[in-house]
Amino acid sequence: MLHYRDGDAAAFDVLYARHKGGVYRYLLRLSRDAAVAEELFQDVWTNLIRARFGYTVQARFATYLYRLAHNRWIDHYRRNRLGVVVTLDEEDGGAPVDPPDDREIPQDVALDARRQAARLMELISELPAAQREAFLLQQEGGMSVEDIANATGVTRETAKSRLRYAMSKLRKGMQEWR
Amino acid sequence: MALDERDTRDPRLEHLYREAAREAPPAHLDAAILAAARREVGARPRALSAALRRWHVPVSIAAVIVVSVSLVILVKEEGGDRLGDARIPPVSAPADKPTAELTQAPPAAAASATAEKQVEAPAPVELRGSREDALRSVSKPAGTPPPTQERVAEPLPKPVPASPLRLEERAEAPASPDLVTAGRVGGASPAPLEQGSATRAADAPQTKLMARAIVAKPAATDRPPVWLGLEKEPPEKWLARIEELMREGRAAEAEEMRVEFKRRFPDHPLGRASR
Repeated sequence: MLHYRDGDAAAFDVLYARHKGGVYRYLLRLSRDAAVAEELFQDVWTNLIRARFGYTVQARFATYLYRLAHNRWIDHYRRNRLGVVVTLDEEDGGAPVDPPDDREIPQDVALDARRQAARLMELISELPAAQREAFLLQQEGGMSVEDIANATGVTRETAKSRLRYAMSKLRKGMQEWR
Repeated sequence: MALDERDTRDPRLEHLYREAAREAPPAHLDAAILAAARREVGARPRALSAALRRWHVPVSIAAVIVVSVSLVILVKEEGGDRLGDARIPPVSAPADKPTAELTQAPPAAAASATAEKQVEAPAPVELRGSREDALRSVSKPAGTPPPTQERVAEPLPKPVPASPLRLEERAEAPASPDLVTAGRVGGASPAPLEQGSATRAADAPQTKLMARAIVAKPAATDRPPVWLGLEKEPPEKWLARIEELMREGRAAEAEEMRVEFKRRFPDHPLGRASR
């Protein structure tokens, strides 16, 4: 990013190639809408390009990039009055709640990976937004708990709690596939 | 930490997710974003501002240094010019004439009166000890009011000719009334003016500082002034001498004498002695 800030256009190509998939999937899973994800995705990168002169190395570039993405997503939800995105309802008290599981579970033990993947994606999309975001930042951004806390503007403990609940729910939801 | 890892990570789930999550942004988005990035880099004002941001601190420092050095050189040169002015001795004032009378002198002597005031003007500090007594006795004639009453608005101190002697030594040396008197009436010797500068240096700290600066400057005044011996001569003789110098090709000396002539006889035309 520093190279790009200083005028090296090719450096941006490298950055984009490295992070475009992760950011896109992060936004796609959060928004659950490809059109919205594309719009937000373009905005994130445009904001990054415009903000390049103010870029300084304070954290990993991925953390910086995903913070931009997080902020853009929050803006989108506030603008469209889609309600509070970050909720603490399921992460600060009680045991993790099992996700709804009313679909028919195939009994065949040799289920193919595609169906497992589809099930996992369903479980992810059913996670509360904050937990889903924490999981996506971990998987797509390769972030640690500290990085997630930094990118989403919460404490380390909160980020860890969200991640822990998300993992717990996904494990439970995928239990029958193990 | 291991507990944290176990709670927040699941290799099997992560592997499954990586296998499943293969979506990528559409190609048209890639092209648009990459084009925007290149456009932004190609924008000249931004590129220029990046270069400015990188260099503005060193450039600022360099500019400050250049301005400071220029100012120091300028101030030194100004000091040198004033030194040249102060080197010119005043003329046609009686040795025992008080300062107040000199300020009312005719225009021809106005310049010398100004120079004399510079020589005589003491700082408003209390004089103490034998040295001060000696200086007081030579800086004003008998019967004049005390120095604090006599002193008129003092012009800015002008530099005086350099001297190999240290000012402190000169200030502490017994003041010679003859020397000072000669200085007041425009004696050609640099010694009286040096004594005057020593007097001022002994009286006023700022004058002392100025005088020190002058002493530090190499003495360019070893040569006697070109108008030596003409101090009491009429303007015509001055003009004749200037013309003679010009004929001999001694332009610098002619110019020096012309300047002095204008100072002494501001209303007298230069005639053929002009440039």
